[in-house]
Amino acid sequence: MSDARPRLLLVDDEAAIRDSLAPVLERAGFAVTTASDGADALSAIRAHPPAIVVSDVLMPNLDGRELVRSMRRMDDWTPVLLLTQVGESFERSAALEEGADDYLGKPFDPAELVARVRAILRRSVPGARPLTAAERLQSGPLLVDRIARRWWLDGEELQLTPRAALLLDYLMTHPDELHSRDKLLGSLWGYDQAVSSRAVDHRVAEIRRVLRDDAAEPRFVETVQSLGYRFRGAVTPAGPR
Amino acid sequence: MRARWWIAALAAVLLGMLLALPLLLISPGVRLSGTLALWAVPLLLGVAIGVAAALVGAVRTADRRRTAAAEARGRAEERERHRRFLARLDHELKNPVTAIRAAVAAADVDSPHLRVADAQAVRLAALLGDVRKLAELETRAIELEPVDLEAVCREAVADVEAALTASGSARRIDAVFPRVPWPLPGVRGDMDLLYLAVHNLLGNAVKYSPAGGPIEVRGSDEGGWVVIEVADTGMGIPEAEQALVLDDLARGAEARGIPGSGIGLALVRVIAERHGGSVQLRSRHREGTVVRLRVPATRA
Repeated sequence: MSDARPRLLLVDDEAAIRDSLAPVLERAGFAVTTASDGADALSAIRAHPPAIVVSDVLMPNLDGRELVRSMRRMDDWTPVLLLTQVGESFERSAALEEGADDYLGKPFDPAELVARVRAILRRSVPGARPLTAAERLQSGPLLVDRIARRWWLDGEELQLTPRAALLLDYLMTHPDELHSRDKLLGSLWGYDQAVSSRAVDHRVAEIRRVLRDDAAEPRFVETVQSLGYRFRGAVTPAGPR
Repeated sequence: MRARWWIAALAAVLLGMLLALPLLLISPGVRLSGTLALWAVPLLLGVAIGVAAALVGAVRTADRRRTAAAEARGRAEERERHRRFLARLDHELKNPVTAIRAAVAAADVDSPHLRVADAQAVRLAALLGDVRKLAELETRAIELEPVDLEAVCREAVADVEAALTASGSARRIDAVFPRVPWPLPGVRGDMDLLYLAVHNLLGNAVKYSPAGGPIEVRGSDEGGWVVIEVADTGMGIPEAEQALVLDDLARGAEARGIPGSGIGLALVRVIAERHGGSVQLRSRHREGTVVRLRVPATRA
């Protein structure tokens, strides 16, 4: 079929999820194909390359993480959204090797999934390696080695607490996007309550202090009044030092 | 314990017989004769009784230690089983809840029944989030950095007050912290988690006390601990239930009419424990409740 809608591959071993989520995504304007595990997904990708993959993590045969790794090994940079919390994988420092573009923990609000998918598609350049898969990133004087998890500003190494580093890494790999406090909490802290939304503010304050960023005229992390935060610097992959 | 004692006694008797037998066979006629000075009698008796008592003591101590170690092991196993249960619960429930939410979103019709299904699925999702949080909290490494608990409490108070004002039920919460002769000592911990604990306690105080009823947050330090108390004049908790409400998902019988999952206090308890502290509850039925959160102070 000649279809201008972006093709979305939905991978989940539970039929109930595929059957109920596919129509929601269809209605949101995607041409949805489904696969029931990672191996199935790889053949679906070969048959009809999708614009984006939304995948569960725990699946028989080939799980979601292995699916992303196999795709990246084949130099396939199709964006992938994994249906799990980013925190879990970051703590095992696997997020980078994994190279997923975003994370959303189950159970989620279907509208939130649609919003995330649209955001990923907006920022992704077809066929290009996304920022989330880059080993080193640069934004003006700020440089990060994402594998060693070390940060430099004008050549001087920075000290960040693990959670501030996690937040800055997330903001920097998703630049120019508005991130609400609740969404950041849900993705990075794993709390879904607005209860601790100040937690995000504290870490942003720490990041600004360390980066010597002025909240009134930020070079890096910008406050979007009452909505959330946005990384405003231009971010590019950096070569090896 | 008792059996071992008998074995020791039997061993002593057998050892005596074993030594006596060859002596009896080799030289049955040899006799020891002598006298004992009077003063030596109490001395020897004292030494003999002392040695016996020390032996009994040693056996008992070793025994107690073994029992304590077994109990600690049992508790650790119990915690681990419990954590696995929570993780499984989370894992098994999140797919059905995700499917329900997606199915409701996919439905073409808008009906009050579907809205009920959706609202309940959202509620289940929130409960699931709480359960997962609890399971994670019990195991994952927590970040340790210097934390000013007074600042954390004042923030939580400001946030709760703001939320109450926004919902049209403004209420004052008094925060009392020492200035003289010294302010509250610092603690080492995870600021976000400590905030969550205090926020939960305040939320409970608000929820279970009449509108406009006073609420107090007090800080103090005693013997190397920083103590935060959250006090209300609410419905209180009947004595029989006080030990139970710190358990996961436990709720007092009188709290059933008030929305909540019963995870709040359990969360506070786990957060306190992960910081090497504890939670205590004092409550008088229909008078009010004081919850006491204790965290080790940083050495100055």
